[in-house]
Amino acid sequence: MHERLRDPIPRPESFTSRLRGPELTARIGLWLGIAFGVAFATGLISHVAQQTPGWLTFPSRPVSLYRVTQAVHVTSGTIAVPLLLVKLWSVYPRLFARPDLRRMRSAAVQGLERASIGVLVAAAVFQLVSGLANSAQWYPWHFSFVSTHYAVGWIAVGALVVHIAVKLPVIKTALGAPLEPADTVSADQGDRADGDAGVRPALTRRGLLRGTWLAAGAAALLTAGAAVPALRKVSVFAIRSGGGPQGVPINHTATEVRVVPAATDPDYRLTVVRGATSLSLSRADLEAMPQSSHSLPIACVEGWSASGVWGGVPLRDLLALVDAPDDADVEVVSMQEKSYLKTSTLPANFAHDPLTLLAMTLDGEALSIDHGYPCRLIAPDRPGVLQTKWVGQIEVLS
Amino acid sequence: VRAARLTIGAVGLAVLAYGAFLLLDTGWTNIGRTAWWLVGGVVVHDGFLAPATIVVVVIASRLLPEWARGPAAVGLVVLGSLTLLAIPVLGRFGARSDNPSLLDRNYTAGWLAVAGVVVAGVGVAAWWRRRRWAAPADESRGVEPKP
Repeated sequence: MHERLRDPIPRPESFTSRLRGPELTARIGLWLGIAFGVAFATGLISHVAQQTPGWLTFPSRPVSLYRVTQAVHVTSGTIAVPLLLVKLWSVYPRLFARPDLRRMRSAAVQGLERASIGVLVAAAVFQLVSGLANSAQWYPWHFSFVSTHYAVGWIAVGALVVHIAVKLPVIKTALGAPLEPADTVSADQGDRADGDAGVRPALTRRGLLRGTWLAAGAAALLTAGAAVPALRKVSVFAIRSGGGPQGVPINHTATEVRVVPAATDPDYRLTVVRGATSLSLSRADLEAMPQSSHSLPIACVEGWSASGVWGGVPLRDLLALVDAPDDADVEVVSMQEKSYLKTSTLPANFAHDPLTLLAMTLDGEALSIDHGYPCRLIAPDRPGVLQTKWVGQIEVLS
Repeated sequence: VRAARLTIGAVGLAVLAYGAFLLLDTGWTNIGRTAWWLVGGVVVHDGFLAPATIVVVVIASRLLPEWARGPAAVGLVVLGSLTLLAIPVLGRFGARSDNPSLLDRNYTAGWLAVAGVVVAGVGVAAWWRRRRWAAPADESRGVEPKP
């Protein structure tokens, strides 16, 4: 090693661990690829749920679909952290491979391949770092998270698929080959009785793989409690314990979005608008209408979710007061001063769903101000950021 | 196989190009701010995290008896990666004084508990291996670059 250190830049041969090899890399890569694939698919679902294109209808059933897909999205990204770290460790020596400049063609091909790997690693690390920080509501960057995380997700998966195409023969051979080098003696055996000198490494590839799976499993268990109530006691790294006012956590408080004066004003009126028609309803008017109550989850993009029993007026009853057609989308506007998440558009299938409520109670009590007093929107299978709180106006879009 | 690779590669390039198009669509200011984080992730991993891991492993493989090295390496993989992914909650950087329902756990205590379990697990595994390996081997069999 001291000899090698005289050359300040290591070469691939400077790294001598017997653990490294395509047999190990391919096995971890397979599961890392699956984790990224699952995160990408569930990420697309979340994207469509938040910005549904006109030609598509996001379903309002099952009511907990988004709760599940978004928890899976965040958990698969979390699981990918140990997988990516061990995978990058296993190929780290390749970083120091030097192109053979005497053979220009092969050097150019190598250069292209390394550029694609550079894109893949940069995009993969970016997705995991930005996703994990965002789930803990930590925004140490200045780019726009939603559009950038979405774009880089496509880049990461595209670069991953290119990588698979380039490496396909290596992957096939490596996955078919035995994991350990031929001369390895199991780490947990004593010395061979026949005295045949095999190599008994301190750690076998199987041992490292098991350790990696253990880390991935622990990563899931320690964080998933934010969405899975049964895991709350185990999930010491969960972004939420699941508690909060009336037993349900809060993302944005009334103080933060500057809505307290408007929300507590005794002269509060809800306006329901359709074209030139406009209705004004007090909270007492709303309470005098037929009430419904449904158990529906709040499921946030950060991956946490909690279920509650919400009571209030079915939105479609309010829409009927202004004769809204069944195929009309509805815009719900909050009284909050801060513009972020002030309005949301409810597609027609959600607006007219019998489970969609303008809720005034949670678990039988009046909504707390941080849950959206005097009333909030709660619809089935809808991202939490679109469940508008402190509703001041409902407008039927033509 | 060649046709399959070309097809997969073409699909990958198309997906990548669409991602690049989406990123371009976010505007040059946003791209500039994103570029720092894209490059930064690679630099921090390849330039700091990976070499630091190798240095730790080299040092540990000299300090630790052979029977303890394997369990310790697994312990490093588990505790190291769990610590990294817990940085956002351990630092509670996103905490807000007006919202006690956010980041509402004692994450330091949680990390200590996790570290305790990992260290105990490594200890038990090393003790077990020491018993199994009746005769200690004489040659060095580290898991990282050897002298």
